[in-house]
Formats: sequence, structure tokens, C-alpha cells
Amino acid sequence: MKRTMRPILKNYLTAFAFLAPFLAVYLWFWIYPIIKGFLTSLTTGSLGAPKKFVGLDNYRYMMDDDKFWSSLWNTLYFILISTPSIVLLGLGMALLVNMKLRGTTWLRTAYFMPYMLSVSVIGSIWVFILQSRTGLIAETMNSFGKTMGFSWFGSWGMGWLSILIATLWWTVGFNMILFLAGLQEIPEDLYEAADIDGANRWAQFRFITMPSLKGVTVLIVILQTINSFKLFGQTWLITKGGPGTSTTPLVHYIYQIAFRQWDAGYASAVSFVLFLIIAIISLGQYKLLMSKK
Amino acid sequence: MSPARRRINFVRIGAYVIGYGLSLIMIAPLLWMLISAFKQPGSTVTIIGKLFSTPFSLDSFEKVLKPDGTAMMWRWTLNSVIVGVVQTAVTVVFASWAAFAMSRIPFKGKTVLFALILTGMMVPVESIVVPLFDMVTALGWSNSYKALIWPGMMLPLAFLILKQFIDQLPGELIEAAKIDGAGMFKIWWKMVWPLSRSSMAAVSIFIFIQSWNNLLWPMLIAQDNSMMTLPVGIPTFQSIFATDLAVPMASNVLASLPALLVFLLFQRHIIKGISMTGIK
Repeated sequence: MKRTMRPILKNYLTAFAFLAPFLAVYLWFWIYPIIKGFLTSLTTGSLGAPKKFVGLDNYRYMMDDDKFWSSLWNTLYFILISTPSIVLLGLGMALLVNMKLRGTTWLRTAYFMPYMLSVSVIGSIWVFILQSRTGLIAETMNSFGKTMGFSWFGSWGMGWLSILIATLWWTVGFNMILFLAGLQEIPEDLYEAADIDGANRWAQFRFITMPSLKGVTVLIVILQTINSFKLFGQTWLITKGGPGTSTTPLVHYIYQIAFRQWDAGYASAVSFVLFLIIAIISLGQYKLLMSKK
Repeated sequence: MSPARRRINFVRIGAYVIGYGLSLIMIAPLLWMLISAFKQPGSTVTIIGKLFSTPFSLDSFEKVLKPDGTAMMWRWTLNSVIVGVVQTAVTVVFASWAAFAMSRIPFKGKTVLFALILTGMMVPVESIVVPLFDMVTALGWSNSYKALIWPGMMLPLAFLILKQFIDQLPGELIEAAKIDGAGMFKIWWKMVWPLSRSSMAAVSIFIFIQSWNNLLWPMLIAQDNSMMTLPVGIPTFQSIFATDLAVPMASNVLASLPALLVFLLFQRHIIKGISMTGIK
């Protein structure tokens, strides 16, 4: 009996030793904050101050909070406009890079390069390009004797267009690489066989390339959806969430409640809803990945 | 030449035009940033037509680099490097140990543990910044490296990728080492670590980029000028310039140089890292 017990016990101890550093950091800085956040969402009080238990009041308040619904709608709107554009442009770039043109390395480098910049630099560049009167576009129009008759950050539609352009420019290269990896996994002989059968380029694209890229495309759609829910830097730096709250997405709104109004309870409640939304999407993603295997 | 062949050539010519056109559009804002940075401090926006006709100077860089209390470029870069390197190293080593244990040591309760770790993949750090801020300020960690480094490390992602790799290692290799009397730590150090070097490089670069770009958390926890990272310092510094283009652009260039350098040196690893996080 003793002889079989000892290796098992030893395995537990070794496994624990290897897992302990990981779990310590992980439980302390990921799991505990989720629980703490949920508990805080049931209270009212300022950030850092003692709190009073109020049950589900914060969640009830959220249901009637126009700003919450508008930030959620803004986030959904951004998913709606950014996902198709990032899929199409990313796929287009990947196809171009995969065509073995001369200077492919240059093309790939140029498409990917903006992704290496920090969001603060991205924000700064696009503000200087787009801003009224002293921006690059306004100045260029001035030099032709015209004035820019609108403001890029002045309305809901234009504000989101600015965010979209900056985000596309910044992150499309990342998605191109994912598509490229997908393209390179397609076996070459499929195309050779199609060539022999006399299939033209379009038919090859339609019946070989597109079906093979289905998995990557779903992945990119999910990643872009998750990233849109996490959108913060671009709106904070470029449009400041305005005019009014028209370009304020969910995380930006959480930031305002927590660190402008210092309302810890309500901010935690909105955070918890954000957590639930992303958890559900990720769960779907995981199920999908597993079903593929 | 057959008609089919000529059509293919048209497709290729079109691809060249669109491909190179797009590359110019993508690179143009970067070039504009670079050239504008070499203008005199106080220069307003330089339109494309005047890019080369206005005088060049290094004064804007000098202004950014001068340690006069507002722009602390050296310090911010150093902070970003420290946070990025420590976060990456800790994440990769901790995740590799955990992945090794989960993959190669038999013990009960693995499924539950695995599910717990996967949950973490689904938690965006954005949704826990409020409780994290509460925790970290209560600990008295504000404006410290501890606060910048420990929260928000991408442990679960690194764990998953490394575990997938370790799962693929031949089991006989490890069994043989065990029979030779090697302890588990020795097996990890002598076999797993060296063998998984290439996936670790890919994961490391991926994590480093994320850390380098992180804005929200460092912005909340580092209000002190000397504890800011680049993404936090840059907008703070630039907020005092309304129409001056050259000085902000000089700071953008300096902030981007390390990352662009890393990219040009490790392009292959970076691309592999992204493909790995995506496809696998």
C-alpha cells in the first residue's frame, strides 16, 4: 500500500511546485478581482472608500441608464462597421502578399508596420491628420483655396469613421498575418489539380480558397468582436468620446464612471456585464475551436 | 500568347498596382510623422507639397529629450522596457512550468484546473481594472513597478500555447530521462525549456508587444511622471502642444523606434507568433 501511495503523493507535490507560481499570480490578479468586482457591484460608495450593500440596485439602475445603453450600442455599431472592413482588407492584403509578387517582403512589412506602434502614437498621428483647421487634411484643402466644411470629430458618424480609419490602419496587418497563415496551410496540389481540370482563377478562389479560409475568418470575426468590446485607447485619444457621449464605447464609459465620478459600485456592475458578454463570446469561440479538432 | 495567359498577366499587373498602392497608403502616415519630426519646434502641420521645402532641424528631438520635467522620454522608455521584459519573462517561465506539470505529471483534478485557467482567457483585463485599482491602491502600490507588472499578465494565453507544444513532445524522451534518475525540474530545464525555445520566442514577442502597447492599466496606476510608461507619457506630454507639430511628432518617432527596431530584427518570429496564437 505504502509503495503505491508514495509516487502519487510525490506527483502531487511536484505538480504543485510547478503550478504554484502560475496559480499564485493568476488567482491573485485575475480570479480574485473578478469575485471582488462582482461583490463591489452589489454595493454603493466611492472608489477606495467603505461601501454599503445595496443588492442589485446598480444593475436595476443600469437598465434605465441611457448612457449605458448608448455605450453598448456604440460598441455594437463599431463591431458592425469594423468587422467587415477588417476582414475584407485583411484578406485582400493576404492574397496580395501570397501572390509571390516581386517585393513581397516590402508589401508585408508595409502592411504590418503600423501594428507595431503604440495606440498613443496612432492616436497622435490621426489627430494631427484629421483635426479641424490645423490638421493635415484641412491644411491641404486650404492650400488649394478650399475649406474643410465639416469636422471629423464633430458628429456621431464622422467620429466613428475617424475611429474606424485609425483602427483599420493600425490593426489590419495583424489580421492579414492570420489570413496569410490560413492561405499557406492550403495544400498546393489542390490548385494544381484545379489547373489541370481547367478551373479559372475565380473558380479556384471560390471553391478552394474561400472554403479553406472559413475557420480563420470566423476567428477574425470573433477576435474583432472581442477587441471592439475592449475598445478604449482610440476613442479616448482621438475623439475623447465626443461630441457628447456619441463615440463613447463600453470600456470608456466604465473609465468615466470609475475614475471621473469615482462610483466604484456602478462601475463594477457595468464591468461585470462586460465580463459576461466577453465570456459568452469566448466560450463560443472555444467550443468552435474544439469542434474543429 | 494564349488569351488565358494574357488574362493572368492582367491580374498580376492589377495586383502590382493595388499592392504597391496600398503599401504607400499604409506607410505614408509613418513617413509623414518621420519627416515632420525633423522640422523646427513650433512648426505647424506640414502639407505634402511643402514637406521638403521647409527647413530641417534636430531641435525638436533635442526639446523632447531634454530632461526638463515634462518630457521624460528616457525614463518612460526605460519603464516600458522594464515592465515589458519582466512581464514577458515571468509570464513565459511561469506558464511553461504550469504547462509542463499539466502536460506531463499525472494527478487528479486536472480537468477542473484546466477549466479554471481557460476561464482566464475569457476575462478581459478591461473588465477588472476597477477592482484591480482598488486592490493595488489598498496595497499602497500606486506608482510602483509592482503595480505596473503583476496585474494583467497574459498567463492563460501563454500557458495554452506552450502546453500545446509540450503535449507534442515525445513521451519516451521524458520517460527515459526519468529512468536515468533525473528529477522533474532537471527534465524541464534540460529538455522542455531548450526544446520549446522557438515557441517561447514567438509567445514572448507577442506578449512583449501587448505589454508595450498597454494603455489603460498603466494610465490608471502611474500618475507620477517618473513612473509612466511610453503609451501613458506620450499623450500627457503632447497635451500641452496645440498647433506645434514637430515636437509631438519627434516624441512619436522616439517612442516608436524601439518597437520598429524589434520588428525589423524579429519579423519572422513576430509573424510566427501571431499565426500561432491565431490558427492553433
